[in-house]
Amino acid sequence: MEVLRLQNLQKSFGSVRALKSASFTLDEGEVVALLGDNGAGKSTLIKAISGVFSIDRGEIYVRGQKVSIRSTRDAMDLGIETIHQDTSLAPDLSIARNLFLGREPVNLKWLGVFAPLDLAKLRDAASALLKRVGISKKLDADALVSTLSGGERQSIAISRAMQFAAKVIILDEPTNNLGVEETHGVLRFVKEVRAAGHSVLLITHNIHHVFQVADRIIVMRRGEIVAEQTVADTDLLTVESIITGADMSALLKETRAK
Amino acid sequence: MPVGKRRSSLIRSPQFSSLIMFIVLLAVFAIADANFLSPLNISNMMAFLPELGIIALGMTLLLTAGEFDLSVGAVFGLAPVVVMLLVQNGQVDIGVALLAGLLLCVAIGAINGLIVTKIGISSFLVTLSMLLVVRGAALYITQGFPLKSWDQPGFFVTLLAGSFNIGSFRFYTSLWWFVGLSLLAIYVLRYAKLGNWISAIGSNRNAAVARGVPADAVKIWLFILTSVLAGLAGMISAFRISAASPVAGTGYELEVIAMVVVGGTALTGGRGTILGTIVGALMLRSIRNGIVLIGVPGLAYNIFVGVIILAMLILHALLQKNAARS
Ligand SMILES: Nc1ncnc2c1ncn2[C@@H]1O[C@H](COP(=O)(O)OP(=O)(O)O)[C@@H](O)[C@H]1O
Ligand SMILES: [Mg+2]
Repeated sequence: MEVLRLQNLQKSFGSVRALKSASFTLDEGEVVALLGDNGAGKSTLIKAISGVFSIDRGEIYVRGQKVSIRSTRDAMDLGIETIHQDTSLAPDLSIARNLFLGREPVNLKWLGVFAPLDLAKLRDAASALLKRVGISKKLDADALVSTLSGGERQSIAISRAMQFAAKVIILDEPTNNLGVEETHGVLRFVKEVRAAGHSVLLITHNIHHVFQVADRIIVMRRGEIVAEQTVADTDLLTVESIITGADMSALLKETRAK
Repeated sequence: MPVGKRRSSLIRSPQFSSLIMFIVLLAVFAIADANFLSPLNISNMMAFLPELGIIALGMTLLLTAGEFDLSVGAVFGLAPVVVMLLVQNGQVDIGVALLAGLLLCVAIGAINGLIVTKIGISSFLVTLSMLLVVRGAALYITQGFPLKSWDQPGFFVTLLAGSFNIGSFRFYTSLWWFVGLSLLAIYVLRYAKLGNWISAIGSNRNAAVARGVPADAVKIWLFILTSVLAGLAGMISAFRISAASPVAGTGYELEVIAMVVVGGTALTGGRGTILGTIVGALMLRSIRNGIVLIGVPGLAYNIFVGVIILAMLILHALLQKNAARS
């Protein structure tokens, strides 16, 4: 069952064509790894899906329905949760307040932005969530995020994406700057997220991680998708050569020679 | 959170260290000069306090969201001047003139906010330019002369500058404005959804935006709020002293920012405390008042004020470091 389909997404920044034309689909309960060198357009692609900026051209379908994503709020309402490369948390806020940022439980809803936070509910829900993702022993929902390690922050960001029963969770280089232990924690989360029926789009530079958690691989180069393969049908070396473009140049040489 | 941990984090909080420092200062001044705590002197301090304090409330929210406003002192001067010109030269009803003055403040705040958020120029540069524009406008339209302010008794005088006695203390209604607005600000920053957004925007704007928080709109409204509060404070002041001067409020922007950061709000955004600002406002007012009483020579005031502010900021920084280490 298809959850997300992109058709011909294009995005330019001035004269830089960051996204020339990208099309792919993401199925339910599937982990797709998005690979490519720095500047290939990976972050641009996922920022377009998550509503950070609008696309120039192309179509996005969620569960077969054509949608227009104009803001991060639109994406969230469609069940697309993104954990951006540049950290997604506010360090001066508590874990609980971060977990519900933008979706705060409130009393007296008619007061709009002036409505009082339902602090008891906020704390209880945060504790329950931390317990569910298995980090409640170490972390207090009232602790400030600035006191957490990088891995703990990443775990918080991922559990936040899980809590709203998102259909699609997008992770942009979630294991950057993490220790070994913390990286394993994040990969375990990805597996749990899939087991819970969510789909994951994982951007990473670490091909070993891809082979541990992904079902399918998509490779981008210079704003285009240049390869798509299921993990079962390929191996580490092949993928590595596709990313760097080595196979292409070899192929070109062959054709020219003929 | 265990009780012990909670208590120690309270003691380490910047509001708490400001409060201790404030009490120490009160004690020093009271011992140095018995008149410091006399009803007359306390009444005097309380007359000035709300005028800067009200601006400081807006500034606290704005700083927490990661921006600040240097044009508040100029707006403090311009708003009452415009009101009085409308009344005296334009024969406009005083109520309508006050409303027009506040709308002018809304416009100034909106322009600040729009330029900062939509064009992306730092609030330092935008509001510094606005300071010059607004102060220049006040000087030009008055040709540099102070105006006589509204002094006919009536609803608006009572509302803005009425006074009442409690025992031998004499207070102005502006104190109620300050108390009421403080309670509102505490509520908004600590308990309302909006407060969560304000802190998040100042702490990590991109994270807040990624969660669907309308960061630009929030900032624009905070610029408007700060401007309106500065104008309101200017009107209160002009009504109290029955004069609207085009140079009123000169230098207030720095005094207000000092009150806010001395109270423990971070200049870099994300961490704001209204209680701290109230203590900071009380502290700066009593320092200015106390050093006069204990006989510091007039020209040396700012040396003392500056040293005390520095000492407070160093204390906050050390406590912060300590907290991070533990
Ligand atoms: N906001 C932006 N403004 C201008 N150029 C950008 C912007 N974001 C990305 N780019 C450019 O688009 C290209 C793709 O960047 P990005 O999507 O971040 O790559 P990746 O995440 O794959 O490393 C790069 O050439 C980058 O410089
Ligand atoms: Mg990137």
